[in-house]
Amino acid sequence: MIMSDRYPKINYRNGKRYFFRFSLMQRVQHVILFSCVITLGLTGFPQRYYNEPWAEPLFTFMGGIEIAPQIHRAAGLVLLCLFLFHTGYWMYLFYRNRLKPLIKEKNLRPSTFFKAFLSMEMMPNGKDGRDIVQMFKYLLYLSPNPPKYDRICWKEKFDYFAPYWGIPILGPAGLALWFRDEFTQVFPGWLLNALYIMHTDEALLAGLFLFFVHWYNVHYAPEKFPLGTVFLTGYLSEADMIHEHYAEYVETMTEHGLAHEIKPQGHH
Amino acid sequence: MGVLPNKMLHGTAQRLTETFAALLAALLVIVMLGGLAWTPPAQAEDELNCVLCHKFRGLSRIDENGRFRLFYINENLFMKGPHKRIMCMDCHRDIKKIPHDPAEKVDCTVECHLTEPSGKQNFTHAPVKEILDASVHSRYDKEGNLKDHQEDYPGCKDCHEQPLYRPLSFFKGKSAGISRRGLSRCKTCHQTGDFAEDFYNHVTSRLQKSRESREIVEVCAKCHADPAFQERHGLDDVVTSYKETFHGKAVTFGSDETADCLDCHVVYGESVHSIESHTEPTASTHKNNIAATCRNEECHVNAGEGIASYQVHTDYSNAEKYPMQYYMLKFFQGLMAAVLYFFVIIIFLELLRRLFPNFSFIKEKPTDATSVLQNSSAEKGV
Repeated sequence: MIMSDRYPKINYRNGKRYFFRFSLMQRVQHVILFSCVITLGLTGFPQRYYNEPWAEPLFTFMGGIEIAPQIHRAAGLVLLCLFLFHTGYWMYLFYRNRLKPLIKEKNLRPSTFFKAFLSMEMMPNGKDGRDIVQMFKYLLYLSPNPPKYDRICWKEKFDYFAPYWGIPILGPAGLALWFRDEFTQVFPGWLLNALYIMHTDEALLAGLFLFFVHWYNVHYAPEKFPLGTVFLTGYLSEADMIHEHYAEYVETMTEHGLAHEIKPQGHH
Repeated sequence: MGVLPNKMLHGTAQRLTETFAALLAALLVIVMLGGLAWTPPAQAEDELNCVLCHKFRGLSRIDENGRFRLFYINENLFMKGPHKRIMCMDCHRDIKKIPHDPAEKVDCTVECHLTEPSGKQNFTHAPVKEILDASVHSRYDKEGNLKDHQEDYPGCKDCHEQPLYRPLSFFKGKSAGISRRGLSRCKTCHQTGDFAEDFYNHVTSRLQKSRESREIVEVCAKCHADPAFQERHGLDDVVTSYKETFHGKAVTFGSDETADCLDCHVVYGESVHSIESHTEPTASTHKNNIAATCRNEECHVNAGEGIASYQVHTDYSNAEKYPMQYYMLKFFQGLMAAVLYFFVIIIFLELLRRLFPNFSFIKEKPTDATSVLQNSSAEKGV
């Protein structure tokens, strides 16, 4: 997380309180990510579903057999670059925010390194497990208390690791299919059969997950519909913060000396 | 207006009739003039004037087998076809008198009266038959006996649908690449008749594919996509599996630069009639030749030997023949079902939970902000 003065944790607009979520750097990475994914989907799925009536019109719209595959490859390359950049990006943040202090304290040992690694905010941890149990208890009417999520809830971690596992599967498979001739100089051709299945089926899983689950969480849910704006502004409204990140909300408010103004978690 | 006198009424009607008559006459004249202005299409070598009858679009009958037969010859199409200089009787040899009896099927291997210019012999398609008879599509086996289900094996017209044989259907509008500028170079010397045009047409039409790849696939699919045919000959549904490949998909989307059936199943540089079974050592699809077929100079030039093991005709539902594809597909289907059902169920429960936000079967003390702070400080203390 960027702990910079550019992004106060609480911001006020028109007398309303907003809570920091994503830096400009992160939002730009997200825009590149979803632009590439949408472009890849629009040029890729008509090929998967070549037999459906919508496939050929959409494929023609995307440039047809001469152009659309080129667009698909270009978007894939950008996405792979973004993946590499993002990996460098979190490694840099990890070094700056977690390792550097340890080095200063002369306390960098394998155990502290490992602990620092696991303490990164995207890392799944024990609280996520407890949150999931509490969520099911709440959803099944077995508890009146919704889970009190921290800064990154388990669903968001899943959203994060979905592309982080998806791109290393889709990307190299796509590259192999792109450079199939050169690929077969080193590898057997049947591997292309396998990579093709990996590429297209992982893409379908990603596409369906994004469309149904991710977009439900951020856009379709009744309190968000039709568009959640945090991906644009980087800030979340107080009501959404209470609904989705109550633990972080309480901590932030307390940190800012606003403990007396903390609202109850309440219900939907 | 007052009541019109009878005479006047009569006059109006008469004038109307006259106007109609004049209009009709004018229309007739226009139609007739149009008829005169319309030039008949170029004449085929129709010395016996077969088109006298066969020009009628409705010339048809139901034959003994109950099939509808159409005998209309569209002269315009005929004159664009490869047989425009052949007389009807060159092929329809059993017709000796007019009106004629039901004609026999045409034998494409007869010699016609054209002289084949390279060897000064009468022209015939017989060499094609020789190649076809040596191919997997031959009606005879290696011992020269008729194969089972011989009616399934193709003759010329099963694949070569001349426009003539489907006169009422629309077909692709591509013609051979006539270039007036290119032709001008021939016409300077070859001035007599249509020789330059015909020769140019003959050569250029053979320099490009005569059918789009999509059409080639349809030609093969006429037999190979038929489940009963597949069962009779113990063949897989190769049309569906081809369409699942990138080759098939590109062709479906209109590419002509991608491999269709012929590009892989014909030895590069050989006649398309020479397709052999993959069990023949000389076949393009024999396991020793696949790499060479893929790596021919127009396709995967830079590919390695490894390309030979790529499985083109994959049937994803056949676990015995394609276990890797089958089980990978099952894995991804399982993964997809697990992930999507898990989250969709959560979404469903979440929406249901909103109906009674405060209800709970198990009474618990509602937790508040202080519990969060206690928990988090406890966590950080660890």
